[in-house]
Amino acid sequence: MNSVGLFILVLLYLVLLFFIASVAEKSRKPFWVNNPYIYSLSIAVYCSAWTYYGSIGVAATRGLEYLTIYIGPIIIIPAWILINAKIIRISRVNKISSIADFISLRYGNSRSLGALITLICAAAIVPYIGLQIKAISDTFHLVSHTANSNNIFTDSATYVVALITVFSSYYGTKYVDASERRVGVIAAVAAESILKLVFFLVLGIYVTYGVFNGWDDLYAQASTFSDFAHKNSIGGLTGALNWCLMSLLSMSAIFLLPRQFHTTIVENRREKHLRTALWLVPLYLLLINIFVFPVAWGGNILFKGASVNAEMYSILIPQKFGQDVITVIVFLGGLSASVSMIIISSIALSIMMSNNLIIPYGILNRISESNVKDNTKLIVTVRKIGIALLIVCAYLFYKFYINENSLFSVGLMSFVIIAQLAPSFFAAIFWKRGSYWGAVSGLIAGVFMCYKMLILPEMSGANVSHSFFTIDYFDPMTNAFFWSLFVNTVIFAVVSIFGKGNYTERNYAEMYVDIDKYLKYQDSAFVWKGTAETEDIRRILIRFLGEEKTKQALHIFNQKYNITDEEDTADARLIKFSENLLAGRIGTASAKILIESVTKEDKISLPEVLGILEESKQNILLNKQLTEQSQKLKQLSAQLQHANASLLEKDKQKDEFLDAVAHELRTPITAIRAAGELLQDDEDMPEGIRSQFLYNIISESDRLNELINDILYLDKLEHTEQVLEIAQYNIKNTIKKVIQPIEHLVEKEEIKLDVRLNLTREFFYYDEKRMIQVINNLLANAIKFTKDRHGEILLSVCNPQENLELKIYNSGKQIPDDELEMIFEKFYQSRNQNLKKPLGSGLGLSISKKIIEAHHGYIYAKNILDGVQFTLSVPQNYDKYEKNNYSR
Amino acid sequence: MKKRHEQKLVLVSIIIFILLNVPIILLFDKADKVIGIPMIYAYIFMVWIASIAITFFVVKRYNE
Repeated sequence: MNSVGLFILVLLYLVLLFFIASVAEKSRKPFWVNNPYIYSLSIAVYCSAWTYYGSIGVAATRGLEYLTIYIGPIIIIPAWILINAKIIRISRVNKISSIADFISLRYGNSRSLGALITLICAAAIVPYIGLQIKAISDTFHLVSHTANSNNIFTDSATYVVALITVFSSYYGTKYVDASERRVGVIAAVAAESILKLVFFLVLGIYVTYGVFNGWDDLYAQASTFSDFAHKNSIGGLTGALNWCLMSLLSMSAIFLLPRQFHTTIVENRREKHLRTALWLVPLYLLLINIFVFPVAWGGNILFKGASVNAEMYSILIPQKFGQDVITVIVFLGGLSASVSMIIISSIALSIMMSNNLIIPYGILNRISESNVKDNTKLIVTVRKIGIALLIVCAYLFYKFYINENSLFSVGLMSFVIIAQLAPSFFAAIFWKRGSYWGAVSGLIAGVFMCYKMLILPEMSGANVSHSFFTIDYFDPMTNAFFWSLFVNTVIFAVVSIFGKGNYTERNYAEMYVDIDKYLKYQDSAFVWKGTAETEDIRRILIRFLGEEKTKQALHIFNQKYNITDEEDTADARLIKFSENLLAGRIGTASAKILIESVTKEDKISLPEVLGILEESKQNILLNKQLTEQSQKLKQLSAQLQHANASLLEKDKQKDEFLDAVAHELRTPITAIRAAGELLQDDEDMPEGIRSQFLYNIISESDRLNELINDILYLDKLEHTEQVLEIAQYNIKNTIKKVIQPIEHLVEKEEIKLDVRLNLTREFFYYDEKRMIQVINNLLANAIKFTKDRHGEILLSVCNPQENLELKIYNSGKQIPDDELEMIFEKFYQSRNQNLKKPLGSGLGLSISKKIIEAHHGYIYAKNILDGVQFTLSVPQNYDKYEKNNYSR
Repeated sequence: MKKRHEQKLVLVSIIIFILLNVPIILLFDKADKVIGIPMIYAYIFMVWIASIAITFFVVKRYNE
């Protein structure tokens, strides 16, 4: 394919990216905004041209070690659920927009540390971007069969790079607030991740099944190579040590590379998206690695003896067989891999450069004076130029320096330099004692070691000289990694432990490490003492947010903390809130400097900070306890009210009970007294009438006696002194004993009495005497309430689930629903019944209930059909011990 | 996700770390053919696939 055609193809490809980005940006539909798959695929920006071409080169020439770049990430990714969730929360609360912000905020929101980290990242990433440009350029020339031109202006790769620069700086700086999510760019990167994977799989399948006859054929041919066994092994204990360290290196890279921090942390929209990434990212890495082995060894077989760059096998193989389509597809896949890496890296770096270097050190004074429009424009311009400058630098670096070096070694060098951030980064999340001086001295020492052991030998071109630090069984790269990180960590830890703590640092340390505790009270977690005017802060906010947004933000703040709009002194919460508002635009360090310029902070000691923090922690705890207690109290008072109401009701019932008792007792006494008086006065009374009166006296006395017995018996039951005599009885006999005496009465009243037995057995445990009493009571009740003539009563007995169950139904007047429970209370007489003289003692149902409860059973009434049904149930499953207990 | 289930995932991390490191990885350090690829590749890819499957299962099962 000629270079013009290929160039047009690249152009079309970039137009496609622009198209995807602008569609996503404009529509802002949930599909683009709230999509865990787009999020996970954007993390696959980890696979750059290094993966695409470099892995194959390493697999072909050196062997397994290319895998370490993926082993580290796949080991740590499941644990992201803990680590990254924490980082995401911290970043969200503090409006963090880059790794430099993240680390420098933790160590006292330090401007210098942010700048140092930015410089380190730039030093590591610019060559890395250069690598990507080199990959684009090399493959472009390879595919279009043109020579690599040394003149920048005639080299077609220059124009490809220029296009990418335009794209990144256009979409990368859409928002002034750097902590804002970039929907368009992320959608484009996710699309690129799909493209590079699919294209690489196409190549893999083509090589494995098109060029060779599958895996077995490939293995058979490859295994004839003398170094096959050697290259496809870890390489014994020595190799395994290198393997382990390299895995650790890539493990830290997946956290620390600015582009990874940007996609995983800054661009995270919902914390739950992380859960999809947990399995999707390792899956992606697996798929993109499956065909590395066949392509690498396929290349080794096909180009045996020829001097070709193994990194280019993926293009050389289809080219050798004249497969133009596949060649171009592979080229486009590689282009996607490079472009996505360049875009995200340059955006992340330009944010760091502007927020941590240029604004705090250069133009802060200027922007704090001018208005919102100029400021926004200036900040965006700074970032745009930053992106362009970074890519140009990388391009020059590639043109004049790395032309000869392989993708793999320059890439690893970036990894080692970036890994220097590891001690201060991980300590930020897990260790409260880490200090600013520790972080700075550790970083400088680590970078110095990298310079001595990696960059210097690389630049001088000489072989690594054997020095005191050289550990024989380490590669130069692992050696440098080991020593630099060792020195870095030790110095960081020692300086941190021996240095005196600083209160702002400790404040952030508490907030970072215990983020879950402070998440709810984010602004209260910030300790600040001093004097500040709300008006001054407002004026600063207006310069960056504009009049309208500032008003909104402050209104929300005031509502949240119940502060009146007139309040003119600012407290710690407002300071932190305003810093957060500014942080996204100008970085955390500059935000702090700006706010500091209008406030007067009082010095406080470390113990004081800890005291205040402890206090606020306790306050949070106390608050929680208080709400819990007040809820408990509420419940208690509700219960009390309920108890009071029922007591009042009982009291009323007792009064009524006494009235009723008095009334009940008086009736027979009156009758007895009347009969007695008549007998006394009239001595000549005929014998017949006389005996009638005497009979009345006896029967009324009996009734009186019965009434008193009932009252006493109920009292006994209530004090649970009643002894039940539980034994096995035949329920049929019991029923017979009940029915026989009343048959006569029933006939007289013309009531239809029906008894239905539906039993699987006949013997049950109960106290027969008491049971008869209960059934008698219920039947008497039923007879009383059955319609005078032609009513019916149905007594049914069954034994469901080991229980003995009796149902007594009678037709007639129903009980009002709200009285269904009350009828079991003492002397309860239905309201409508007051007119008539009650027929029974009014204690029957009460006694029945007590008896059934003493059997551990239950009794209730229900309105069904056109009558009332009483159901009583006595359990049969109590064990021997309980039975003995009953008849104690 | 509850703390308890999060720890399952951390455990997955720890176990793969041990499986893909000295000394266990050296047990499989051979280029003999296993399912068409050198044994060491087969081993690493198996652990890799298993870790994805377990993570996927834990995430789907306890996702609330």
